[in-house]
Amino acid sequence: MAFTTHTTPSGFLLPSIHSAPPFFSQQPNKTTLASFTDHWIKLILAYARHRRLFYLHVEDAETSGNDWDEVLKNERINRHVLPVYLEHIMGVMVEKNLAAFEPARQTRSVMLYWRLPEEWAETLHEWATSTGHLNTIMTFYDVTDPPIESPLSSIPVALLRKAIGILTKTNRAQLIAAADGEGVRFFSK
Amino acid sequence: MHRRGGGIAALQRQEQSQRSFVELSHALSESQVDHLHAQLTHFRTALARFAATHRHSIRRDPAFRHAFQQMCSSIGVDPLAGPRKGGWWAEMLGMADWQHELGVQIVDVCVTTRDRNGGLIDIAELIRLVTKLRGLADGAIDEDDVIRSIKTLQPLGAGYHVVDIAGRKMVRSVVKELDHDQTVILAIATQLGGRIVPDVLIERASWSHDRAAAALENMLTRDGLCWVDDQDELSGRAYWVPSAIKWDE
Repeated sequence: MAFTTHTTPSGFLLPSIHSAPPFFSQQPNKTTLASFTDHWIKLILAYARHRRLFYLHVEDAETSGNDWDEVLKNERINRHVLPVYLEHIMGVMVEKNLAAFEPARQTRSVMLYWRLPEEWAETLHEWATSTGHLNTIMTFYDVTDPPIESPLSSIPVALLRKAIGILTKTNRAQLIAAADGEGVRFFSK
Repeated sequence: MHRRGGGIAALQRQEQSQRSFVELSHALSESQVDHLHAQLTHFRTALARFAATHRHSIRRDPAFRHAFQQMCSSIGVDPLAGPRKGGWWAEMLGMADWQHELGVQIVDVCVTTRDRNGGLIDIAELIRLVTKLRGLADGAIDEDDVIRSIKTLQPLGAGYHVVDIAGRKMVRSVVKELDHDQTVILAIATQLGGRIVPDVLIERASWSHDRAAAALENMLTRDGLCWVDDQDELSGRAYWVPSAIKWDE
């Protein structure tokens, strides 16, 4: 018996360690745990990027039929990440600034940074510049649901607000309170 | 139709032109070879400059060294091969001879694979990975090379050691001595593809349950030489010895 890589129906290549049964349990040895957790973090972020997923919940490991089935479970060997362990992994991700608890003040749900907020800020500004949206007021909805799909389509508002906050510091954006919610105005550099 | 001239003169003429062609082709390929040499020298200089500039990082930072070696092997340069004995690596980085260089790569492989084998690697697997790292053909390095290199590493006290487990040679890169019970566990796990539970040890090694459980727990928690699976269908909790697992990449 050998452990091999596996390509999921969505076209994602799982590493060979994903077919090892112990990979799904929390390891008691510190070094082993750190190494397994690193593997998990890489895997989670790569998959999130592959499927454009922004959120991960502890419940995703407990239930079936959600976006994370291909990674948090391995039906070929009948294993799934134990929820306690997933919560630990999420904690480490937040520590390393690769995710943030969302909403705040709980530890069972995170927003994933497969791009850092700083990178999202640049992507956002580039998009606004290249589509001629400088100096006009846009609602958040205009950004998250543009008529033509953009790199920012379906970005969570919490993440969008962070990115705008970063642009505000360099005077490249301004947050505007509009009647029906919030808006943003971009400026050239 | 004008027939090409017969006779001695024509023959000489033909010979003459053939000679000219040969000379011309020589000159051409010579210039091509010269050109290649020039490019190669240029390339070596660039690589040498890179190695010299980053010498410190290459020597100090295992991750950087690993990346450097991968870069070398991806463009088909073996940093250990060279005109001089000891090779280019020794020349540029001031490290000792071939044997030591191989040692460096052995350490590299042992360290990078440690998280998946717990510091114990089958010698055949080690040779395969070193060969791959260096971009060499299969069989360019053999078991004796590796064993000799590991001996040269011993004064460093890093704990590299060749151990014999159930007829298989393994390289240990963790300082801890394997005690007798661990050797037995490794041998049995190797026969079983990696998975092991106390019952197997009770049956095959006629240990008491306490001895089997304690030995496995120590390997798991204290030494990091095995992994635990809390979802085992048969026993609920199973131990896996990573160095006994076969990985397909």
